[in-house]
Amino acid sequence: MTRELSYVGKPIPRADAIDKVTGSASYTHDLCLPGMLHTALVLSPHASARIVAIDSQNAEALPGVRAVLTGRGLCYQLGLYMQDKCILARDVVRYQGEAVVAIAADTLDIAKAACQLVEVQYDLLPTVLDPREAMDASAHLVHPDLHTYEHMEGVFFPKAHTNIAHHQKIRKGSFDQAFEGADSTLTASFYNPPVQHVPMETHVSVAQALPGKRMEIWTSSQSPYTVRHLMSVCFDLPHAHVRVHVPYVGGGFGGKAGLGLEPLAYVLSRAAGGRPVKVAATREQEFNTLPSRQGLHSTIEIGASRDGKIVALKSTYVWDAGAYADYGVNIGRAAAYSGAGPYSIDNCWIDSFVVYTNKIFGTAYRGFGHLEILWGIERAMDLMARRLGMDPAEFRRRNLLKDGDTTITGEAFTSGHGNPLQCLESVAEAIDWGTPSEPSVDSYKVRGKGLAMLHKAPAMPTYTSCAVVIKLDEDGGGDILVSGVDYGQGTYTVLRQIAAEELRIPIEKIHITWECDTAFSPYDWQTVASRFAYMGGNAVIQAAADCLEQIRSVASQALNVAPEDLDFEDGVVFPKSDPTRGIPYSKLTLGYTFANGNSIGGPIIGHGRFIAKGLTHLDPETGQGLPAQYWTYGAHAVEIEVDTQTGEIEILNIVTALDAGKVLNPKLCIGQVVGGVVQGLGSALWEGFVFDAKGRFLNAGFVDYKIPTAKDIPRHMQQILLENPQPGGPYGARGVAEHPMISVPSAIGNALYDALGIEFNTLPLNYERILTRIKEKVEPS
Amino acid sequence: MHTIRFTVNGHVEQATVPATMTLLDLLRDRLALTGTKEGCGIGECGACTVLLNGNPITSCLMLAVEADGSDIETIEGEAIGGELSVLQQAFIDEGATQCGFCTPGMIMSARGLLNRIPDPSHEEIIEAIAGNLCRCTGYEAIISAIQLAAARLSQDIGSRDAQEGRAR
Amino acid sequence: MRSLFCFSGFKFVRFQRGFIVLGDFEYKRIRSIDEGCHCLAEAAGKAAVLAGGTDLLVEIRNHLKSPKVLIDCKNVDALKQVHVDRSGSAIGASVPLNRLIENRAFHTTYPALATALLSIGTYQLRSRATLAGNICNASPAADSAPVLLVLDASVEVVGIRGPRSIPIRDFFVGVKKTVLTPDEIVVSIQIPQRADLHTTFLKQQRIRGHDLAVVNMAGAYSPGERILRLAIGSCAPTPVLLEPIKVDVGNVASFAGHVAEIVLSSVSPISDVRASSGYRNAILPVLVKRILHNLLAEGGAS
Repeated sequence: MTRELSYVGKPIPRADAIDKVTGSASYTHDLCLPGMLHTALVLSPHASARIVAIDSQNAEALPGVRAVLTGRGLCYQLGLYMQDKCILARDVVRYQGEAVVAIAADTLDIAKAACQLVEVQYDLLPTVLDPREAMDASAHLVHPDLHTYEHMEGVFFPKAHTNIAHHQKIRKGSFDQAFEGADSTLTASFYNPPVQHVPMETHVSVAQALPGKRMEIWTSSQSPYTVRHLMSVCFDLPHAHVRVHVPYVGGGFGGKAGLGLEPLAYVLSRAAGGRPVKVAATREQEFNTLPSRQGLHSTIEIGASRDGKIVALKSTYVWDAGAYADYGVNIGRAAAYSGAGPYSIDNCWIDSFVVYTNKIFGTAYRGFGHLEILWGIERAMDLMARRLGMDPAEFRRRNLLKDGDTTITGEAFTSGHGNPLQCLESVAEAIDWGTPSEPSVDSYKVRGKGLAMLHKAPAMPTYTSCAVVIKLDEDGGGDILVSGVDYGQGTYTVLRQIAAEELRIPIEKIHITWECDTAFSPYDWQTVASRFAYMGGNAVIQAAADCLEQIRSVASQALNVAPEDLDFEDGVVFPKSDPTRGIPYSKLTLGYTFANGNSIGGPIIGHGRFIAKGLTHLDPETGQGLPAQYWTYGAHAVEIEVDTQTGEIEILNIVTALDAGKVLNPKLCIGQVVGGVVQGLGSALWEGFVFDAKGRFLNAGFVDYKIPTAKDIPRHMQQILLENPQPGGPYGARGVAEHPMISVPSAIGNALYDALGIEFNTLPLNYERILTRIKEKVEPS
Repeated sequence: MHTIRFTVNGHVEQATVPATMTLLDLLRDRLALTGTKEGCGIGECGACTVLLNGNPITSCLMLAVEADGSDIETIEGEAIGGELSVLQQAFIDEGATQCGFCTPGMIMSARGLLNRIPDPSHEEIIEAIAGNLCRCTGYEAIISAIQLAAARLSQDIGSRDAQEGRAR
Repeated sequence: MRSLFCFSGFKFVRFQRGFIVLGDFEYKRIRSIDEGCHCLAEAAGKAAVLAGGTDLLVEIRNHLKSPKVLIDCKNVDALKQVHVDRSGSAIGASVPLNRLIENRAFHTTYPALATALLSIGTYQLRSRATLAGNICNASPAADSAPVLLVLDASVEVVGIRGPRSIPIRDFFVGVKKTVLTPDEIVVSIQIPQRADLHTTFLKQQRIRGHDLAVVNMAGAYSPGERILRLAIGSCAPTPVLLEPIKVDVGNVASFAGHVAEIVLSSVSPISDVRASSGYRNAILPVLVKRILHNLLAEGGAS
């Protein structure tokens, strides 16, 4: 008998909304400790230079300055996957904007004034800006000591004495032979620029070095336990001596995964005699000093048969890692095993190179690796379809993964993976695919439609795990303790729903602690990869079951009923045979007291955990293996209007279908989709770093780096959430947080061809680029 | 140093401030009103929006000393006696907040709008909040929340909010 | 500075960080124009007039300007006035843009100017920013400038040597440079009212949200005189006003082509992070065509 769900699948409002609408939500940005110092940074004006000398005497002499640090005294190499980064630039600077000197002072004014007094002398070094050139044997080496760096062995493969931080290979079948034998072939190249996450709260960390080799950190981070682990390892402290708090976080989108400003705040505090130190990035530093999405040069070769079956696919991905590749290597890896799109391809060859350059460095950004590669893949699918004279939707239909196929890493595709074809059909129907757009009212505007597929799996180590603790309260309610971070996705609300459902108590009685604290909250790897609802949800189910078992055991004695004869409903445990003899949880949560005063049981605390199951490392030579806990598939279809005189583009309609497995909370899920689509629109139309020939970043701020405003959203947005359950997912759910952003650029690029008959292979599709191409077409040079 | 008097959320405040201090820093650092956020410091993002004599402004681009004699309203004044305003409740009901960092500024812009136009059109809502950047929501739920608040206020003429003549 | 603490639960929270470094300046609130002129003269070029502050404070923060004194003119009654009537209008130097945009008489009398002002920044910025500030900032991209140029506005200023009226076409002398002497303070912008004029303003930006102009342009057409005036922003070191063009329309398209040629030969757009000179050159004829379409259709030219 299936119970009707009371909370799961319902549009429960966010648990944190009341704090946020009243301004009482406290972020690290708002935090101040007694005696706290403030930090300002001296940044490198050069993209590549040797630091000859730093004169900070005058800065140190300024009253109120408590610590002045340079890279020279900080012999630490940090990183999650690849330990290639220093806390401050040491000996050389590798990108313009890199922090060279950090000063902590009583006030931010003093710290900034002190920075003005620092003199840094540089010797310019050769600069390498294009990752394709950086792969040349003769290229300037950004990291001459790459061969000495610690990294995750067996997973990443840096090439000694080159700029290649990682090379991921996928080899399946026999590409060359199949390509040669194909009826029709295509080779096309694409480019994505680096872009910024733009969380509204910039990176900010507060750290205090405590006596007895301990430290305490408050940070705007997605990763409390990863911060704790990396800080422990880096500074050689017992893990329990590092306490990390994560209060409310003002947006992350991947940019606050791994380590951020925490090590710098800590070493400053240590140097300042243990006073707490705050390091808060300015908006300009958020662009210029902190990491971005990597740029990508991709080349895609496809061979297809006359009847529209892809027989061979080869992709070469050259990632512009920038100056450091700690997270970039994992993006290069994940993008490779997803590197052929959601298609069934028997003969596949993928090379994914993560390459150092003298630019701002890359990190995870929502849909990491996938927005980038699917820009190329989904544009190439349209190009190939046209070459075959086939409708782009039909071409995809003939190649999408279906039950019985294998992925490019050899994973069997089953119905439990979800239904990519249903995603495609849903958006095609909603956009009225096959029917040309109505003409615009203005003669100089043209319209077009496009669609694109998307997919992504969580990219995480094979041993990724998390735990949940539920403490039951005197009133029969409960507190959930977790260390995944809800920086806006809504996961905490969803975990409350699951806990209420499983514990069979009203949701109002379930609380979730809105500050992660590694001293109290149980382990979670980090909050990335759209995995928190899946893994945390499973752990909550287990923790709730643990609570119920404890209740059952005490109630069985209290009621003198066999444990298996008990059932639970509405906060009451009762004998199935006589529901009127129930005991409310509130009489059991701290222990049960009989009429004579004798007591049994004790406080009930449930524990649940989850670890990724069955994942394997990928074979270094072939990439074969099982990298993904689950896959989420989806599709977008768009209708656009282009002003052919100015290049302006307007999104008339965008339809998104995602196979969520189970929609745990429709309101929050749709919120994720709408937000992701608009973020994807930013990457499609406007966003991208602009560098000059010397590697200087020209648009590091909101004046010239434009993100979508309320005026820039599509006229219509439609969300279609499919529910083909995920085996092993909580209530059949799979992650959907990153996915809405992926392939928005691809769908728009495809619609641009439909509207204009022009192929766009470079992002962003800004007005100037569009108009330039229109003019080239009208007046070929 | 300048000694200034002004009201914040109806309370009279007096402060001695240097010429170079912004209103934003006065609110956050001196008056502990940290609901108002700083997102860029140059008036581009709207996270620091407060009402100055009823008009939305970016408090990062106003000197504290300029506030002398004025009436400032911040997010902390929006709920009265722990009771959410109609606007705040609409933000909750429509799912108009995600990470929440832009939310205080967004609500203050919306408050300014509903104070001057009780029944705003879609275009008027967009114009009013276009200066508040939000990276999470895609704005749609925020626009709906403001529409919902306006609708509830117009139906609820006898409410406390309506009596106070503003979007409470 | 003393900091404030508050204790919440087991964690200390909040407050304190010192102030943003906004340079090092004194603040002076003037009560009269004369007082302002004297303060300005005394500071000998080291002072700046503070109206809305939406450009000035950003420039100070970014170390592009470092005045020693900010002279706040918002408490001078004479600068707060707005007069809009048939004979002409005077916009006080400290009047925020929103007060103009939301003024019905202003809106109906100067629709193109209202459109231009509405395209400046965000609602919050327009609560503070002023028309005088927009022109005194003297950005080549100032959105009010092209309309003021085609409307033949003038800038009323007072200095220690007394008042003078500067035609707006003589006001801008370079990027961020005006003819104002260090002691002069803008009192108002005078805009003649010409009921016979049809005006329009267009702005090309990179995104629909708030942005600086890639190119902006205003046109004013007098159907009686059959005279067209055009001004262009963001395509030269200053906004550019063209010589009046006699409208003798046989064929609107060829006339637009003719005007576009005049425009292109009168400006010298550069490439910057916002747009290439090529894009600006491509947009100019489009704006010309659209402006002529608006004006000549409205103005009843055949």
